[in-house]
Formats: sequence, structure tokens, C-alpha cells
Amino acid sequence: MKGIWPTAGVVLAGLALAAPLSGNAYLTGVAFQIAMWIALAQSWSMLSATTGYVSLGHAVFYGIGGYVAVLLVDAAPFPLVLLVAALAPAVFAAVIGLPVLRVRGPYFVILTYGLSELVRHGVMRIESALGSFGRMIFSAPSPEALLWWMVALAVAATLGAWAVRHSRFGAGLAAIREDEVAAETLGVPTARLKLLALIASAIIPGAVGGLAMMRTGYFEPGQAFDPVVSFTIVTMALVGGTDSVRGPVMGAIGFALLSELLWSSFPQLYMIVLGAALIGFVLFVPQGLSGLVDRIAGRRA
Amino acid sequence: MKRRTTLAGIALGALMAVAPLGTAWAADPIRIGYAIARTGIFAAAAPSQENPYALWQEQVNAAGGMELPGGERRPVEFVSYDDQSNPANTVRIYERLITQDKVDLLAAPWGTPMHLALAPVLQRYKFPMVGNTAASVQLRKVAPGYIWFVTSAIPDSMGAEMAAMLKANGMKSVAVLANELPYAQEFRSFLLPALKEQGIEVLVDQSYPPDAKDMTSLLVEVKGKSPDAVLALTYPADAFLFTGQARELGLASPFVLSLIGPTIDAYRKAFGGAADGIVSSAHWSGQSDMWPRGKAFFDAYVAKFGEEPDALDSAVTWMSMEILQQAVAKAGLDHEKLREAIATGTFDTINGPVKFDGVQNAMTPTGFVQIQNGKIELVWPPAIKTADFKPKQGW
Repeated sequence: MKGIWPTAGVVLAGLALAAPLSGNAYLTGVAFQIAMWIALAQSWSMLSATTGYVSLGHAVFYGIGGYVAVLLVDAAPFPLVLLVAALAPAVFAAVIGLPVLRVRGPYFVILTYGLSELVRHGVMRIESALGSFGRMIFSAPSPEALLWWMVALAVAATLGAWAVRHSRFGAGLAAIREDEVAAETLGVPTARLKLLALIASAIIPGAVGGLAMMRTGYFEPGQAFDPVVSFTIVTMALVGGTDSVRGPVMGAIGFALLSELLWSSFPQLYMIVLGAALIGFVLFVPQGLSGLVDRIAGRRA
Repeated sequence: MKRRTTLAGIALGALMAVAPLGTAWAADPIRIGYAIARTGIFAAAAPSQENPYALWQEQVNAAGGMELPGGERRPVEFVSYDDQSNPANTVRIYERLITQDKVDLLAAPWGTPMHLALAPVLQRYKFPMVGNTAASVQLRKVAPGYIWFVTSAIPDSMGAEMAAMLKANGMKSVAVLANELPYAQEFRSFLLPALKEQGIEVLVDQSYPPDAKDMTSLLVEVKGKSPDAVLALTYPADAFLFTGQARELGLASPFVLSLIGPTIDAYRKAFGGAADGIVSSAHWSGQSDMWPRGKAFFDAYVAKFGEEPDALDSAVTWMSMEILQQAVAKAGLDHEKLREAIATGTFDTINGPVKFDGVQNAMTPTGFVQIQNGKIELVWPPAIKTADFKPKQGW
């Protein structure tokens, strides 16, 4: 049973990479969305699922990466643009990390959300001071190339999340989640571990943001730092289940496909249907898709 | 277990593939796709654009359909989705409309960010679309375009015209309050130098976030400086906020601009007499008898929806469909021929003749309207005005 998950992952990545070969631009677009949400949800889980510090502000990393990529795209080779887009939010996380990670529980949730909004409005002001009113991107790579980059990020984020969970580092983070005070008493360097987890979870969203802006072909701070990105990440991780590495993958695929199916089939009603589906899910499948699979598998076996 | 998930996957995939087919089989009507913000911060503006689309469809179908070269007529039908006020969704929806739904023609979404994001998509698929509710000098960078802008409310000429109008009416000082969204900021960037050129003093220059819920502190500052003119560079949602709070505080300036929003019928219904005297952006008015097609549109709209068309958004939306219709009658549905026809033709619209120079409407003058006795009157420029500017008399 256990062996099928890596296989499933390889098949999935292969399918996504092959999507452009079908020549259907719409399928390429859907594959891009799914890979994007996997990369984001998986990155989020590196901090929030492991330590229990729930971030409601991951849009800030996505937005910073997007902004940096848009500023650089005409000036540097594309791989370098992505690299800088990934490093910029990591630096930001390193700077804000220590003070932000001193608060816990609901205060941490609100603080991350507020921080993301603060940066959003800051960038809006910078942009209007620079005399820029939305930036059009003319030199973006093709949608196919962007998809391949995005799949690479989804794979990297998944491997990264797996590595974190199966390491001493991950054990330390789990100790923080279970009882931070006790962990500290036992000699776990909690402040350092939390900071590293925050930085690790900021890197890939930066590159994802860069790719997403290239895909849209247009940058405007209100959209790049859209809090809906943060909300969607958390929703997907919860739908998928936060107990395992496959949870965010299943949540991202399930949620992205569902919302795609709903908005295209019920354009007038889909938000209502989506909301109802979410409520039902949280009420009846609290362990997430991943837990549901375990339960069904357990019953069968 | 494995089989069950696979089956579910196949079923989901099949559903997604089948869903659009139902309409694709009915090959007869001309299918026109668009996305619009039915939810999110731009939702207040959507009816001003969707109503004209619906009215246009009704009129075209009542006349036997959309005319093609050779006189054949085919009925039209719309395929539409909600972009949730997010340009990233707009891009994906139009890609879907073009490649999956395989629509014959495209109509425009609402708003400048959406149009700007769409320009590269239209370019990639070489699919022409007549834009309507958007304007930006940035679009001049796209050449040769598959997108055109019907409105003459382009920020650079608007800045100059606004300053000229203020000067002509003896305004010596202004307060500028600008939404942080791109269109308002772009207008602001052309307005400030134009004001300086006309010797008009700027007493307040502030920006506010698009989802602002309270403008009281900004308005108190403005009131304290008592400028001759208050120029609020609003989008529809914050136009309501601005007007409501300016009324509460009793802003006494004789010249009050609210950039986008006041031309929506609901605005006048919400504020009644308090809306009188508000200046706004538009270059068309149902009150004008300069353009014979305009009155017919105005009356048909009022008859169908029980309210007046938005002098800005509904008018430019209608114009974009008039242009599309006339271009299709001449060139048919082939995208390259259609692009050529739109780029080179002269079109008869409710706002007079329209011809494009690059992406821009080269014929229609940039104008401003004022609400007077509950009516939208063109007050600027003098060549097309339907009434003289009147200083705002209280709220």
C-alpha cells in the first residue's frame, strides 16, 4: 500500500509534463493551476502542518516573489529571475521571523495576515510613487515552459516537505507543535528551528509567485498579494489533511479540480456550491482526503 | 481502492470534457464569450455592462440575427463566466473561451486591469476583441493590437481636459483623493502636472486603498483646507462611500468630481438630490440629440431595465457591440479579416462616428458630465455639451 504513493507522484508529474503535448491550452492551464497549488500548499505545510503555527499570510511570499520577478524579467535570464524571486521572500522571512514567531495560536494567525496586508499596501504605494499603474509583461516564457517550471516546483516542494518530516529537524518541529515549552526545556532549539521552518516555507512560494505573474502577463499589487491566495492555501491543506505529505497534494488536486469543474459548469452558482461543499467536508471528513483514504484502505484490509 | 480513485478521476475528467459540448452541437448561433466580475470589489459595476450585452442580444435576435457578409443572419448567444474581480481568472477564462468553448467572437470584461491582462492572450491567439470599460496609456505599447479601446477617457487627455475645465470655471485650488487602483493612479499622474500648468494649487494629494471602508479622516482634512474643487478619483464601490461621507460632513466645495461611479443609475437613486452637482467621467449622455442612435439606445434601455444606462460603462459597452456588429457584417467571423476591418473601419455609434488610431478611438472627444436635476448632462468640452457646468449647491 505504502509503495503506491511515490508511483502515483511520478505518474502525476509525468501527466502534468505531458499536458501541453495534447495541444489543448485549457488543459495546460488547469495543470498549471494544480501544480501551483500543490507547490504552495506543500510549502505552507513545511511550517504550519509541522509546527502548528498556522500562517494566514503566505500570499506575502507569493507576492514578493511575483513583484521581484516582474521587475527583473526584462533584465536577466529567466532561471536567474526565478532564483531571485525565490530568495527574496526567504530573506524577508529571515528578517521578520524572530519577532513574528514569538507569538502563538490565533495571534500568530492574525499577525501573518496583517503582515501580508501591510506589504500589499506598501507595494501599492511604491508602485504609484514609481509612476507604475499595473505592469504589463511582454517577455514572459510560453505557457508550456511555465507549466514545466511549475511542475518542477511542485515536485521540489513535495520532496522538501517529505525531507522535513523525515528528519531530526522535522522531529524538532513536531516537538514544538506538541508542547513548545517542554521541547525547549529538553534542549530543542525552538527559536532557531521555527525560523528555519519559516524560511523554508517561504522560498518556493516566491518562485511560484514569479511564475504566476508571468502566466497572467500582468502585475498589479492588489492581485499579486491577494489574501484569497493565503485563504486558498490553508483551505487546500485542510481539505487534504495535514498529517502526511500526500495530504496537501490531494487537497490541492481535489480542490482545484472541484472549483474548475464548478465555475465552468455552474458559472452563476459555483461559489455557493463550493462553500457548501467545504462546510460539508469539514463537518463530515475532518481528517481530510488523506485520512479518508486511510480509513477506506483500513476497512478493506 | 486504487481502482476507485482512478474511476473517480475518469468520471471527473469526462464530466469536464462533456460539460461544454451540450452547447457546441447547436452550431447555428454565433457564440460570443466574455468574463465579468459578478463577485469581488468590481461587482458593483457589472450590471452596467451585462445589461447592454443582454439588450444588444435581444435586439439583434429580434432583427433575425447578426448580419454576415452576403446578408446571411445568425442568432447570437453569450457564454459568460465570473472572473471574481481577479485578472488572473480573466486570463484563464478567455483562454478557455477561445480554446475549449471555441466561441466565435469575444466581448470585453469589466475594468482596466482585466483588459491589460487580456492583451497578451488576444495577441497569442490572434483573436480580435473590441474593449470597452478600460483605458490606459500603457496599451499603446501593444502593436499591432488585437484589442481596441472605445472610450476616449484615456488618462493623459483626461488630465489635461480636467485641468482646462477647472480653469474655465474659475477653480483655483483642489484636493485630490485617489483610489490606489491603476486607472485612478494613472489619471492622477497626468492630472497633477496639468493642474500645475494651469496654475491651480493642489492643497491635498492623498491615496486610499480600493477596499476602503471609511474615508472620514481624509475628508475632514479636505474640509479643513476648503479647496475650490474636490477631485475624488473613485471606482464604483468607493464612489458610494465617498459621496455618503462627503454628504455627512457637508463638504462645501463648489466643484466635486467622483471619477467612476456616479453615472450608474443606482448612484442617483441612492443619493437623490445630494447627487446633484457631482461631476464624473463620461463622453456620452442620453440627453444629447447630437447622435441619433443614442436616444434610441437610451429609450430601449430604460424600457427594458426600468433605469437609465450608465453614461460611461453602458455607453462604451454598447459602442463596442455596435463596432463588432458592423465589422462582422463587413468581414465575417474570420479573425484576421475581422481585425483588419476593426482597425481600419469607421463605425456609426451612439457617440457619433468612431475610428481607431492604433488602440485608441481617434474621433470621440474626452468629456465630463454633471448630474443636474437627476439627469446626466454633458458639461465638457463645449463642442458636445448639453448643459453648462453649475457649481454644487450643498448636499
